[in-house]
Amino acid sequence: MRPKRPEAKTAAQPKPARRANVQAGERPARRPEGGEAKGKDAPETQRRRRRPARRGSGTAQGARDGARAEQVRAQRGSASDGAASPRIEGREDELRRAEGASESSPRREYEHENEHETERRTEVIAQIRELEAQLDRLIDEASRRDLAELAGDDEPEVAASAPAHEEAPPTERDEEKREDAWRAPRPSTPQVRPSVTSVTEDRSSASSVTGGETTVFDTARELLSTDFYLRKWGRLAMRGRSEEVDDFGFDPVYEQKARGILEFLYTRYFRVQTTGIENVPSHGRCVLVANHSGTLPLDGVMLKTAVKLEHASPRDVRWLTEDFIYHMPYLGSMMNRLGAVRACQENAERLLAKEQLVAVFPEGVKGIGKLFSERYRLQRFGRGGFIKLCLRTQTPIVPVAIVGAEETNPLLFRVEYLSKALGLPYIPITPTFPALGPLGLLPAPTKWQIHFGEMIDFSGHGREAAEDELLVNKLAERVRSTIQAMLDRAVGARRSVFFG
Amino acid sequence: MVPPKRRASLASASGEVGSAADGGKQDGGLGLARQRGASGRPLVGRRPETKVVAVTGASSFLGANLIGLLEEDARVARIVAIDVKPPGTAQQKTRYYEVDFTAVSAEARLSEILAAERVGTLVHLAFTSSPTHAVAFAHELESVGTRHVLVAARHAEVRKVVMWSQTLLYGAHPSNPNFITEQHPLRAGSIDGANEPWFSDKIEAEAEVARFADTSPHAIVTVLRTAPILGPTVNNFLTRYLSRRVVPVAMGFDPLVQFLHEVDAIAAFKLAIDRDHPGIYNIVGDGVLPLSTVIKLAGRLAMPIPHPIARRVGAALWLAQIAEAPPSFIRYLRFLCVADGTKARERLGFRPAYTTREAVLDFTNAQRLRDLKLLRG
Repeated sequence: MRPKRPEAKTAAQPKPARRANVQAGERPARRPEGGEAKGKDAPETQRRRRRPARRGSGTAQGARDGARAEQVRAQRGSASDGAASPRIEGREDELRRAEGASESSPRREYEHENEHETERRTEVIAQIRELEAQLDRLIDEASRRDLAELAGDDEPEVAASAPAHEEAPPTERDEEKREDAWRAPRPSTPQVRPSVTSVTEDRSSASSVTGGETTVFDTARELLSTDFYLRKWGRLAMRGRSEEVDDFGFDPVYEQKARGILEFLYTRYFRVQTTGIENVPSHGRCVLVANHSGTLPLDGVMLKTAVKLEHASPRDVRWLTEDFIYHMPYLGSMMNRLGAVRACQENAERLLAKEQLVAVFPEGVKGIGKLFSERYRLQRFGRGGFIKLCLRTQTPIVPVAIVGAEETNPLLFRVEYLSKALGLPYIPITPTFPALGPLGLLPAPTKWQIHFGEMIDFSGHGREAAEDELLVNKLAERVRSTIQAMLDRAVGARRSVFFG
Repeated sequence: MVPPKRRASLASASGEVGSAADGGKQDGGLGLARQRGASGRPLVGRRPETKVVAVTGASSFLGANLIGLLEEDARVARIVAIDVKPPGTAQQKTRYYEVDFTAVSAEARLSEILAAERVGTLVHLAFTSSPTHAVAFAHELESVGTRHVLVAARHAEVRKVVMWSQTLLYGAHPSNPNFITEQHPLRAGSIDGANEPWFSDKIEAEAEVARFADTSPHAIVTVLRTAPILGPTVNNFLTRYLSRRVVPVAMGFDPLVQFLHEVDAIAAFKLAIDRDHPGIYNIVGDGVLPLSTVIKLAGRLAMPIPHPIARRVGAALWLAQIAEAPPSFIRYLRFLCVADGTKARERLGFRPAYTTREAVLDFTNAQRLRDLKLLRG
């Protein structure tokens, strides 16, 4: 196996001279192979040393890690071979210069000594790297031996006892010894070093194949364990998800991912035109009251995107949706992650208490379920729940008129007798829907307009006004007529459904 | 295995005990008299207020840990442990009585014990923590057993009754608000028209306690509705569900869920014993997480099943004793059932040490060791 390899190689090939050369020049030179090599390598060794202690299963894990490290080393070695080396040496000079510069600035009087300093430093660094490599190897060996013992393998004892003293963490007393050591060629080094370069240089040789087998075996075992896939799966699956969501399930990472699609819908597909966005306050709570339309509730998403893209200080709109969305697979959780919240007084009050921007569609299901012939005719505004909410929490209202959503999925009929079983309020019949299957639910690329009206402030009425049904109805009617007027104006001015 | 944070939070819980001395003062006189009677001479000291706490369901997870915590509290003179098997955490202060609530004579025997031990506070934890196939037994234990306990408590003139309940009883409905407050009706009893005994027994028990609170105005009745308890050592249907390699979920649904760390659950009961705050409290961890995220954090594989099929499959698996929970629990994989802990925070002064996410991670760390057979249980 691998531990035997160095001896075999030294016997077979004129290795030592070359390796000495390798140690002096190439190896330290490869280290500063650009930021990524250094950055990757240092944590890797650290991690490797830490892991067996942290994880309960020392031996198996150690062996596996060792194998993986071996692979990495091999790859890195092959990359830096041959053609790459001059470039690297050049870089190394640069690095040395940079180091010298940083070193010399505080104490200029020792400038010519600094040259020595730098040289020594590089070499000391090289030594440290070397020792690290040794230590890694020893750990690998030890774990492998454990494994062998477990398997009952009568593998000969590895000559690990000789460099055992190297394993001790470098103390200050050792420091001097080592400084002497790097001047004199070290006798122990050629045998002890696993020599990354030697593995890569002799990739074709038979001796490294045995090493390769170990690696392949270990990797295969890792790949065959279910744990590996579960871990991988867990990590992959968390890609598009943040680990923490807010109280209502809004997921910022998911929203970031969906933003591309939303922006495409907003700017290219529906080509939304926005007016009066400055009426939306840039801070503090506010309720956006909008008309609801379109068989699919796309208007909430577009309203959210409008404020995100057009407003001077982009805010997250939390829009309130009907219950039935949560009966539908995928749609509910998707909307939830984007910022939709189920419409009820408790939720709305909680959101407003956090000074959020809340969008409500008081028409509710009746709004989306309007037939095409009733388009842009506002339905009854529920029971004025949003007015009560605004009075109770002393929140201003911004009326919003959304034009263009009515034509995305023109509703011809509502079928209600089967819908109960599906948890839907009705089954829509559009020119395309049941006929073309799910594809028929794709919205038509109409031209949208979103108009934000002047803010309506209810602070003149007290909190107790929320109990006054008559007043609530009156105020609700006032908001409704404002939005209706805005809608009429916009629809009247519009020349084409598809081009605005 | 006690993680450092747990130790810290237990310490902070007992720290709050010291600050909440007003709670124990009322029965302080009674406790002093008792002490005098027992030892023959009056106790002199700065803290004479001591109390006697009875715990039903003492060998359950909550009961045993609570007894361990009470053993360390200097102001608890005696702990009366009531169960069918002795708690492992019992020390000098604990006296164990074997009472089977499903037996006919339970009521009289319990009343005798409470009166003889002069119990001031009764903590009622004798509920099944996981759904069981022994439906009749569970009904006797929970619904009828609670009635027995309360009758005995009234007979023995117990000063305070603390009862365990669960936020799951609110039921998972698409019409739930995102945070259910204590006034919300308990709607878990009949889900999809089918009666689920595990819920309805507990709801009946809550109704019994509400009736008890109405008819005995002098008694302090505290009901703690805990969110599903998760943690490194607790073992219930939830931890078993999350320790499966492949976790079944409802296809296309990803409700927000909320957990309570086991340490926080125990601390909440300690708090309710120490302070006098009648009423119902939701005891929940901070924050919510989508179910899919929980499963991923736990390092498990989610297997989506369309819910119309899931009900049938679930019923079969439950019958075969392979599933952890009956099919009525599938609703909790589809809809929201998250409670609002504001009232407990403001009135009871309950501050959870772990968020939902931290509870999941803490469970996961222990579960990983269990997977590798490095930890038993």
